[in-house]
Amino acid sequence: MADQQVVAHPDAAASAEFARVPSDERIAKAAAALERNGIRPLLAATGADARGLVGSLLTDGAEVYNNTSQTLEAIGVADDIERSGRYQPLRLRLYRMDREMQAREMRTLAASPDYVVGSVHALTENGSLLIASASGSQLGPLASGAGHVILVIGAQKIVSDVATGMRRIYEYCYPLEDARARRAYGVPSGVNNILIINKVIIPGRVTAIIVSERLGF
Amino acid sequence: MSMFDYDARPVTPGVVLVGTRASHGAYAIRDFLSRNGYPFEWVDVDRADAVAAVLAGAGVDPSALPLCILPDGSRLPCATVEQVAAGLGMIAAPSRSEYDLMIVGAGPAGLAAAVNAASEGLRTVVMEAVAPGGQAGTTSMIENLLGFPNGISGSELATRAVVQARRFGAELLLARPLVGVSPDGLGHVAELSDGTLIRGRGVLFASGVEWRRLDVPGVDDLLGAGVYYGAGPSEALACTDSRVVVVGGGNSAGQAVVRFSRYAQQVTLLVRGRDLGASMSHYLIDQVTAIPNIEVRVRTQVVGIEADDRLRAVIVRSGDATEPAWLPVDALFICIGGAPRTDGAAGSGLVTNTAGYLVTGSEVAREPGIDWPLRREPLPLETSRPGVFAAGDVRYGSVKRCAAAIGEGSMAVALVHRRLAEVGGG
Repeated sequence: MADQQVVAHPDAAASAEFARVPSDERIAKAAAALERNGIRPLLAATGADARGLVGSLLTDGAEVYNNTSQTLEAIGVADDIERSGRYQPLRLRLYRMDREMQAREMRTLAASPDYVVGSVHALTENGSLLIASASGSQLGPLASGAGHVILVIGAQKIVSDVATGMRRIYEYCYPLEDARARRAYGVPSGVNNILIINKVIIPGRVTAIIVSERLGF
Repeated sequence: MSMFDYDARPVTPGVVLVGTRASHGAYAIRDFLSRNGYPFEWVDVDRADAVAAVLAGAGVDPSALPLCILPDGSRLPCATVEQVAAGLGMIAAPSRSEYDLMIVGAGPAGLAAAVNAASEGLRTVVMEAVAPGGQAGTTSMIENLLGFPNGISGSELATRAVVQARRFGAELLLARPLVGVSPDGLGHVAELSDGTLIRGRGVLFASGVEWRRLDVPGVDDLLGAGVYYGAGPSEALACTDSRVVVVGGGNSAGQAVVRFSRYAQQVTLLVRGRDLGASMSHYLIDQVTAIPNIEVRVRTQVVGIEADDRLRAVIVRSGDATEPAWLPVDALFICIGGAPRTDGAAGSGLVTNTAGYLVTGSEVAREPGIDWPLRREPLPLETSRPGVFAAGDVRYGSVKRCAAAIGEGSMAVALVHRRLAEVGGG
């Protein structure tokens, strides 16, 4: 990816294609496909409903890592995890650690939380999940490190197939994420790593909450 | 979903603190937030652009500093540690009318006692004035604690211990110092600084030590403005590329110089004794002497300082030198051992030695004029009042090591059980 290139906005065509909430039938089709792939699907009408579902899935006192996510911030899940006092929010523990002296401790702690809560960049009608990452730090726990994975997915992320999902990442998500990273961290983002989850072997490990609203990007 | 988890910083708003670097009050809040693991953004009032950014373009009244902006947006002018703690919801009332064991202090000894007591079914409450972890909580890396072959930081050890204690049902009351503990029938009643009263059948003092003050004129006036007691966890990053002096010859000083060597341009360790071997662990001596940007000066003492609005230099006298030397410095960290934290205990009439440490066990009977009321001898770790115990650094004769404090805290619970069986009452 052209990492240093400033791309402020996706073009109009990409926005039109990838920011639209699909029909209920298409959402149901994706949910059924997820179930066939070993991923537990839950449907939520609104972000508020999704927030309640996440709360019901998390165990009090558990170590929870909330991935950086516009979706989680928008619906209040990030706040619930970091501020409610119900869980052990790993981001707060990592934040207080010394990057020089405790790098190993930080790596270990972030790699294997009880729960990781995040989102995806695309969900295909065949039930594949696509997640891109610049640093890659989020991908290991999603694939296998975390005990449980909870994904909150705005329905506009549903695409027809993996190839379209890849296009969604490059043409739509990346420009928006690049602009966000520059604002938040002063550095460009990049599609440096991509995880595709086609099937989950451990029953109940991954739950995907599809929200019938446009959430995140 | 973001592609960029840049540094695992919290994504929700934290605390913003606006003030002057030289302010004692601002430093106290920075230290308090840092030791309690609360994310905060420090904004120096001299940085007009940063102040405008956090105050939405408005100016700041100098008489309102330090100004604290809480995550919910509310503002605390002339903020104090107590106000910030209350604003962050850290002040909780005790949930029970009586406890089996009240523990004073949430350092390694207190938390070890809390885990053991609560896991054995004792109704347990821990009272902590500042932050969990005690003196060890500010230690960047403890490498000789059993079970942690790669070391563990003091703050992470404290975090895990707090989680463990709470999982077993222990309660923690934070951010309020103990005023005193009085007899109450066969039990005791503790009073916190905000007037909260807590009743308990047994008491364990595990209040540890605070840093001993460096007796050099002007030093305490610069607290937070280049002078810090302990390893100053909130200040490590601010030492990047700077010149740092650490005073002390113990493990805390050793751990501090190793940590600062990662950030600072030059670190100088000033040791009063002839060598490091008298009070520093061998593994730390090996590390300290192997790091190129650490200089160790033995037989050296600080005799003065030079400062304007912040510290500029320390004046030291070494060995047999007749003339003092001038050492330019950006930050001075003082780690010269501890003085016992017995504020709540001393006023309660418990016997201490001349240095203020709580006297326990067989030592109690040796104290002149002691009026021990029971036919049995004091139990090990029991103070001059039956049912009141002491463990860890605050206890006279204790070994000043984290593992030893954990051992004493754990051991104290068995002795508390014996005392509770003695007084009965379920």
